[in-house]
Amino acid sequence: MPIFRRFDENRLNSNKTYSKKSYTTQFAPEPTTTVNPSAASGAQAQALTERAVELRARIHDVLGELMVNRSPDEVLTAAQAVHGESDLIVFLECLLNDLNINGVQSEAFAETWFIAGQAPTIPSPLEQFAILPLIPMNIGHLYFSFTNPSLFMLLTLSLVLLLVHFVTKNGGGNSVPNAWQSLVELIYDFVPNPVNEQIGGLSGNVKQKFSPRISVTFTFSFFRNPQGMIPYSFTVTSHFLITLGLSFSIFIGITLVGFQRNGLHFLSFSLPAGVPLPLAPFLVLLELIPHCFRALSSGIRLFANMMAGHSSVKILSGFAWTMLCMNDLFYFIGDLGPLFIVLALTGPELGVAISQAHVSTISICIYLNDATNLHQSEVVIYN
Amino acid sequence: MLEGAKSIGAGAATIALAGAAIGIGNVFSSLIHSVARNPSLAKQLFGYAILGFALTEAIALFALMMAFLILSVFQI
Repeated sequence: MPIFRRFDENRLNSNKTYSKKSYTTQFAPEPTTTVNPSAASGAQAQALTERAVELRARIHDVLGELMVNRSPDEVLTAAQAVHGESDLIVFLECLLNDLNINGVQSEAFAETWFIAGQAPTIPSPLEQFAILPLIPMNIGHLYFSFTNPSLFMLLTLSLVLLLVHFVTKNGGGNSVPNAWQSLVELIYDFVPNPVNEQIGGLSGNVKQKFSPRISVTFTFSFFRNPQGMIPYSFTVTSHFLITLGLSFSIFIGITLVGFQRNGLHFLSFSLPAGVPLPLAPFLVLLELIPHCFRALSSGIRLFANMMAGHSSVKILSGFAWTMLCMNDLFYFIGDLGPLFIVLALTGPELGVAISQAHVSTISICIYLNDATNLHQSEVVIYN
Repeated sequence: MLEGAKSIGAGAATIALAGAAIGIGNVFSSLIHSVARNPSLAKQLFGYAILGFALTEAIALFALMMAFLILSVFQI
């Protein structure tokens, strides 16, 4: 990033044309006499050298203030790289002015970061969603690594299983439940409600059959989504791949259930009763597209909620952190604003995490109802 | 050039939030209307309203997701 070109009197005095590259790479120390070749008395040269040393020290100080959280060695190397041990007063003063006036936004500082090996940009809010292989594994050409999503899925699973284990017959199982047992009972009781409401339909025996499957889906995302709110943890459901895998497998299962229960009559879901025949081809298409889009939409809904919420919390906490680092009393007071917004966002985020588990469960119930009962159950839903 | 176009695209993607705002406002205004007409149903209606709110909010997040995709997916 060649931004600063040194001021060179030789170039002004001579007629030779210099290539651009030669200026920028030319950071080697030169004798002070090049600054003023005509009047090169010893005393003047001495004064100029002292001035240059002082300017270099000040550049180093300013950089030390600007580079937060960096070791002194790094600041020193960066400062040396920026001023290049130059003795040119004009160049050094120009650098110092730029650093003093523009601060973090200055070109010299950008160059510093470039030299220190880090871009001056704010870290991406999407950084937290990176999938890192913890135990790399390859089976043939397949990539089977144990990654951080796998780890956090296992954590969620073990949490749920432990919780359920300790309150059921082996652990607790009291007739008068304690707090933990009533929590698990609450979660367990919560699921049959929407299942009965949505899937019950005209044939009453459906509900018990699918209740465990829906219960598992609900419990898993109910524990998995809020777990992502723990700082430095990983949100498994913020990945398109995982939510889409879930929703597609559920969609395929629902289609199979529909064909199993209704046979080829299942295809009649794409045509509401009493439609005039000329309209039928269009209506089949119009019903088929949303039906297939459900597989996508229930995955995307969960993923987008998780990802967007977590990114916005991250962006706002980045604001708070930047303001905290500004070393200025005014900004320090102003910092409370973003901080409180972050705190206030955490609450709705937890709410979204839990309500998305609920919403995805309900939408699965609705899809399942469409598959099992076809078009006959509208009366039951809205009673 | 591409950077600028990406920023414009991401900004334009957030226009969709207007629709989501109308939708969320509609959900809660309907809730207030309904509760004012029949206060005894308040609890049940609130559950439905929260469900509708979550579904509407998800649509808003699709727009946000598009903005993120536009900003981060296309590389030079």
